[in-house]
Amino acid sequence: MSVEDFVSRLPNDIGGAAAGPVDRVEHELEPWEKRCHALADVLDFRKLINTEEKRKGVEALGESLIGKLPYYERWIVAFANIGFTKGFFTPTELAEKMAEVEARTADHPKPL
Amino acid sequence: MSSDPHSHGHGHSHYHDAHEAIVSDDAPGYYEIMETAVRELLIAKGLITANDIRHQIEVLDSRTPALGAAVVARAWTDPAFKGRLLENGRAGCEEMGISFYDDTQLIVLENTESVHNLIVCTLCSCYPRPVLGLPPDWYKLKPYRARAVIEPRKVLAEFGTIIPDDVEVRVSDSTAVIRYLVLPRRPAGTEGCTEEQLAALVTRDAMIGVIPVTLNDGAAQ
Amino acid sequence: MDTSALSAIRPALFERPSFTVGDRVRVSKRAPIGHYRVPIYLRGIAGSIVRVIEPAFVDNEEEGYGRNAGNKRHYYRVAFAMPDLWPDYAGSPNDELQIEIIETWLEQI
Repeated sequence: MSVEDFVSRLPNDIGGAAAGPVDRVEHELEPWEKRCHALADVLDFRKLINTEEKRKGVEALGESLIGKLPYYERWIVAFANIGFTKGFFTPTELAEKMAEVEARTADHPKPL
Repeated sequence: MSSDPHSHGHGHSHYHDAHEAIVSDDAPGYYEIMETAVRELLIAKGLITANDIRHQIEVLDSRTPALGAAVVARAWTDPAFKGRLLENGRAGCEEMGISFYDDTQLIVLENTESVHNLIVCTLCSCYPRPVLGLPPDWYKLKPYRARAVIEPRKVLAEFGTIIPDDVEVRVSDSTAVIRYLVLPRRPAGTEGCTEEQLAALVTRDAMIGVIPVTLNDGAAQ
Repeated sequence: MDTSALSAIRPALFERPSFTVGDRVRVSKRAPIGHYRVPIYLRGIAGSIVRVIEPAFVDNEEEGYGRNAGNKRHYYRVAFAMPDLWPDYAGSPNDELQIEIIETWLEQI
């Protein structure tokens, strides 16, 4: 890979790359994963974050994170980052809200 | 909040491993907490509503491969409908009452004696969600996305599908506003079947193009 | 009624598709930084227009920067021979790849 490719090839552009056999894995979405998918659609419908901004936000995570984080984990991190940039909330607000959610749900399975 | 993403819910991220069961921990994981926090902040700021999310979950739940199967069975039994469907996939589905909630168009790709179609999204995970629901994990993971465009016959063989050399394999890579649905070949021996019986034979994977429709193993997926 | 008014209509810039079914086109070889929706494996490869997608849609690549009302251009379904994409392609020489590409990436041959 040339140095130009570092900036001109998106990490998720993998058509033709070497890869192992297709493992026919699938799973029933967990409730939070389905909520995350619904959130993505709603953000698009409400003209807050369109689908292409989400894709770009995932690409912005870089090759190593894209390789390690599962699917909806990538989406929610992308939404958080785009939310900071668009001024929907600040990193501090998100940190405080996450602490609140964690405290509230520590003894309960599955927040909603 | 702990900065270690593995301190909570760490079983959640293990579904990449085909053979490991999905474990639900007692407390929600780091990313699940992030999802809840992002959603609640957006609601608190009046940008979205809780009802938006509830409603969209219902929309997602109402979209399953059974819709695509109904479209395929109609196309097999009604030549005029098939013509309209191949001309404009979205309009054909809408004619059956299947709405397109995500602003995408649909091209229906007909398998014939001489062409076998396969769909993939190499850049992300584009998929005809309004008619098939959400894609399986393997469709979103690297091996399928990377290899379907460069060695489709090998990928098909891994699904047990062998395409003769004189049949063209046509791979469609969805990258933009267009989604695809494969119209599989109607299996022989189904001449007497009703539209409903035919729909029960059509699997999700056949509409992705990785397997044919057969009489034997219908159709839960 | 003056029918010459109808025949005198002039479409605006980008209103009509630039290519038509059967045209041979080449995918631009450029490698921009930022966001794109044309996979690298297609760059510089020649193919044929098999379908003009109507109507024109917002340019995905502009949409990635939040321009929800960005420019609309036509997308085309373009067919490529697999051996043109992959020199060592192992399947049948008749195998094809088809994909939608926005006009900004296509050059007439």
